[in-house]
Amino acid sequence: MSLAHETLASLRRRLAAKEIHPRDIVKDLLTQIDAREKTLHAYTHLNRESALAAAEKANLSLPLGGIPIAIKDNLNVLGDPCTCSSKILEGYKAPYDATAIARLRQAGAFFLGRTNMDEFAMGSSTENSALGVTRNPWDPTRIPGGSSGGSAAAVAGRIALAALGSDTGGSIRQPAALCGCVGLKPTYGRISRYGLVAFASSLDQIGPLTRTVEDSALLLSALAGHDPRDNTTDLRKPETFLTKPDGSVKGLRIGLPKEYFLPGMDTETESAVRAAAEWFKKNGATIVEVSLPHTPAAIAVYYILATAEASANLARFDGVRYGRRATDARDVLDLYQRSRSEGFGAEVKRRIILGTFVLSQGYADAYYRRAQKVRGLLREDFEKAFTQCDLLLTPTSPEPAFRLGERNQDPLKMYLADVFTISTNLAGNGAISLPCGFTQSNLPIGLQLIGPRFGEETILRAAHAFEQAHDFWKRMPPS
Amino acid sequence: MAAPKLNVSDVAALARLTLTPEETEKFSAQLGQILGHMETLGQIATGHVPEVTPPAQPALRKDVPTPSLSVEAALSNAPAQANDLILVPKIVE
Repeated sequence: MSLAHETLASLRRRLAAKEIHPRDIVKDLLTQIDAREKTLHAYTHLNRESALAAAEKANLSLPLGGIPIAIKDNLNVLGDPCTCSSKILEGYKAPYDATAIARLRQAGAFFLGRTNMDEFAMGSSTENSALGVTRNPWDPTRIPGGSSGGSAAAVAGRIALAALGSDTGGSIRQPAALCGCVGLKPTYGRISRYGLVAFASSLDQIGPLTRTVEDSALLLSALAGHDPRDNTTDLRKPETFLTKPDGSVKGLRIGLPKEYFLPGMDTETESAVRAAAEWFKKNGATIVEVSLPHTPAAIAVYYILATAEASANLARFDGVRYGRRATDARDVLDLYQRSRSEGFGAEVKRRIILGTFVLSQGYADAYYRRAQKVRGLLREDFEKAFTQCDLLLTPTSPEPAFRLGERNQDPLKMYLADVFTISTNLAGNGAISLPCGFTQSNLPIGLQLIGPRFGEETILRAAHAFEQAHDFWKRMPPS
Repeated sequence: MAAPKLNVSDVAALARLTLTPEETEKFSAQLGQILGHMETLGQIATGHVPEVTPPAQPALRKDVPTPSLSVEAALSNAPAQANDLILVPKIVE
């Protein structure tokens, strides 16, 4: 079997036993890439030579020694492109490592390539990339989800062992669900965002996409911790996650938020998620019905706050210091306007305009400030729910992967794809998506487990127990 | 609150974007629909609720200089440069 099919944990054991060499892993991955990448287009850039060179020098005594990882194209890796799948960052080469990247390097990992995404992480299908669409490994006529669609398709398609993504409203969990892999959005403050190209700073979080929950814990342990360069990172001591998983969910109180089981939702998704809840119950967990009453407002709150923050964060792309610069500008204003108008795609422009509007004089009270207040109510909903339960169990996405081109002319309809994931970003909690079944047409279905803030250990233990009692994670997409 | 008429070209100018007539027309319709959806927030009673403050406690570091990007690295992506400076069109006549 190709080493590209194995988990990080199993490869680490085989590397330690000297059964295999890191170069064998890279070679097997490159072979798989040559066979699959033409169909999937998960990568925007590959480090063939440098990955092989890093494999030769790998320090196997480190926790991720000899392990190649794929990186979403919005995280700075010294010397690599970082395009955010946008024309405005054509030709940019990162002059430094993001903290998350530096931590993976310290743990012994190296970087296989850059994965495709919706431009500046704005989208739920990876169709908003200026570098071409990515396809779902289970059905190439369908989207992989987004915005970390390249990372999810690469991991699920066995052309990456693991990848980093970023999640502002569901951008790790939703593609993980639609591609059938494990995606973790850690608690806000768990991982430093220094070197992540900012979209909405009060919501952005970096996290791993992996085949298994154990691999997710392995990467989280390397990534988590305070960083003086991101002062939202929590000051608690570094932790190692999932050191002694016992497979038990006995006594766990699992909340089913009634607002996440909507009339008219996809029936196969609903029955797979309800069956997962049933499994927890059968294995000794208690199921309680809870309510997150402000859920219906979450999309509106999110698209006000996220676009407002994006309009400020993306002001830095002006053609002056880096990225695309319009030629023959008349004056500096013309330079800004033309560089930005030529460089940004339609969805980015739409969101910048919306964000500028909701912050503008006369409208900021009605939109931005009101949304901040409703965000407070959403957060209270979660705090109340977690007095009644230890974890929340929901679908990750209301439906399986939709077809390419089906939604991208209707932005509001596309925004509604995030309905089950965005509240967690607004509240700041951590959440995981893992496979819990397949539709009759063989498309993966994702289960979301949401924890209290900094409750990753509980999330990972429960997710691991569910995963290991089933074999959904072992299923391979058709090649 | 009733959905206001969003003048897309004016707001785009504030954001230093110039739109084509096709973009202006398309965005006006789409953003009108999106703002319509956002009107639902008007139905939620928020009088007693304070605005959200950042969720994590900001940790301030000591104000001591530490190594940072070299001039060469910082300028490595500049589209036009000379004498360790970034060139831009003339600002002051």
